[in-house]
Amino acid sequence: MLEKNAIKKILKKIVQFHLKLFTKITLWRHRPFIVAVAGSTNKTTTKDYILKFLREKYGEKEVRGNPKSYNTEIGLPLAILYLDLGESSMLRWLKILVQAKMRALFLRKFPKKLVLELGVEEKGDMEYLLEMVHPEMAIVTNIEGSYTYSNSSLEKIFEEMKFLAKELPAKGYLLLNSDDERVKSLAGFSKAKIVTYGFAEDADARAEDLKTDAQGQIFNFVFQGKKESIRIKKYGRTNIYAWMAAKVVKNIL
Amino acid sequence: MELRASRIPGVVSLAQGVPSFDTPEAVKRAAIDAIEKGKVAKYSLAPGTLEFRETIAQYLEKENKFYDFETEIIATAGSIEAITATLLAILEPGDEVLIPDPTYTSYQPAIKAARGVPVFVPLAEEKHWALDIEKFEKLITPRTKAFLFCNPNNPTGTIFTRNQLHALAQLAIKHNLYILSDEVYKDFIYPVKSCEAGAPSAQFNRVNDSNERLYSLAELRGIRDRLIYIFSFSKAYAMTGWRIAFLATHQDLAKKILAVHDTLVTCAPVVSQFAAQAALEMAQEDVKKFKDYFQKRRNLICKRLDKLENVFEYQKPDSAYFVFPRIKDEILRRVAKNGGSWQFALELLEKAKVAVVPGAAFGPSGENHIRMCFGRSEEDINEAFERMEKFFRI
Repeated sequence: MLEKNAIKKILKKIVQFHLKLFTKITLWRHRPFIVAVAGSTNKTTTKDYILKFLREKYGEKEVRGNPKSYNTEIGLPLAILYLDLGESSMLRWLKILVQAKMRALFLRKFPKKLVLELGVEEKGDMEYLLEMVHPEMAIVTNIEGSYTYSNSSLEKIFEEMKFLAKELPAKGYLLLNSDDERVKSLAGFSKAKIVTYGFAEDADARAEDLKTDAQGQIFNFVFQGKKESIRIKKYGRTNIYAWMAAKVVKNIL
Repeated sequence: MELRASRIPGVVSLAQGVPSFDTPEAVKRAAIDAIEKGKVAKYSLAPGTLEFRETIAQYLEKENKFYDFETEIIATAGSIEAITATLLAILEPGDEVLIPDPTYTSYQPAIKAARGVPVFVPLAEEKHWALDIEKFEKLITPRTKAFLFCNPNNPTGTIFTRNQLHALAQLAIKHNLYILSDEVYKDFIYPVKSCEAGAPSAQFNRVNDSNERLYSLAELRGIRDRLIYIFSFSKAYAMTGWRIAFLATHQDLAKKILAVHDTLVTCAPVVSQFAAQAALEMAQEDVKKFKDYFQKRRNLICKRLDKLENVFEYQKPDSAYFVFPRIKDEILRRVAKNGGSWQFALELLEKAKVAVVPGAAFGPSGENHIRMCFGRSEEDINEAFERMEKFFRI
């Protein structure tokens, strides 16, 4: 049993190494603009709104995202290389690696913008992902815990987000949820331009006068001196955060 | 009946409503991974992990159901916990809860545990076990607080139509009632075309003709403040032992239910929350595979029942994995004398060694019926019918 697990771990390392290499080659060849979406939750909804807005602006084929479960060390490269998860069969993984190599070297058409969810759980996860992808824009949605007593794990996630904030280039953008104190404090660790969003008075992009009815939610969106009334059919503040972040991304790009 | 059957060697059981499959591999792997990473030893937040609830909300969105994962979704220890916690939150002692007759046996004890009074609303068997809205309204009293039902219905394997559901929603608004909609079998809806007989009304409760998605009252935004949507992973993902389900409702009601849920179980089993999250994310193909198997078994059991036309008459199920045949009077008199469906089921168990559930267990209208589960293997179904054919000397 122990041996089997050890073999599995070695094989996983080999697969990871090659996927990372092929992903780096692909991104070096095509140089897409990368928007990273990170945080404990609300990544998928935020990413989906960004994809929707950017596709409206640039067209369907020029913008691509990663599916929800493709946001970690194996999933992210697969999503960038347009490949599916290999289940647990070794033969399947071998086939995937061959396909990955072919795509890295010969793929001609590639989207100009990638919107990628970055899933991190452990120390070092963000560093690993950022060795592969170099976002010029990042959104941190929130840092929240799923457990009753989870302060230490929140600090761990905070450190990972700090790494992302530090890695962004000076010409890049960091969008921060200003209603989350930990997230808001990331502004102090980045040389990128900071844009905050939320319900807080001091947020750069702000939602106010939120009302809920049977048809969904209505709020006023205040950004760059303009105010517009927005209706979304989904419930919950998380959807408003996601919408606002996406709107800011659309405005910047 | 299942317990009694387990004491008799060689019994073939069509009694218990559990699928014959094991939990999908991807789900088991996710649970093992969560255990190995040390994620499951602690209490989660009372309504469940944020990631699980977010996944649920995204999954529901695809079915045109919109809920805020932070405040409107609660992961529960099976759907019966969701139902019991809801009833405890909304009922005062003596309040009445209307339930279809026949319906799932555990609803009555859950209502009684919450000091409520179950009131049966007879379904119209000749109309494919339809809900009779007039009868329903006549049974509403000042003490009526809620209507609890499962759609598709257990034990009949039939679906309440969109029109019936809308009429029900109107009554709920008019009489200020809650609706608890338990949709545990929603993933096992069989195409209308494949029904050679029966199920004339089935087409009206589907979202459209081509797909097999069940229409749910949770899609009706106007009643979201009085509708509690309940879904269990037990049947769709073959996870009965994991005890994991969820409920979704308006945040004001969710807050009340959460207080009871917290008192009852603190939180749903955390390992099962990770497993169920993986089920939603990675096991949709498995659900389709299960459904295809059940559909084949449904066709098989109907074929075998047709051969027993002197013994049973039945409404062809268009969902779930149950068929609820009526025992013909002369056969019932011959086999069970004055004992009804209980005696009939006992005779079948002891003499033919076939376990079924007596219809009376599901309510007064279930009398003279038995419930057979076709969630079991084809071998079990064939063997059970061989034995019954011999027993009835067909």
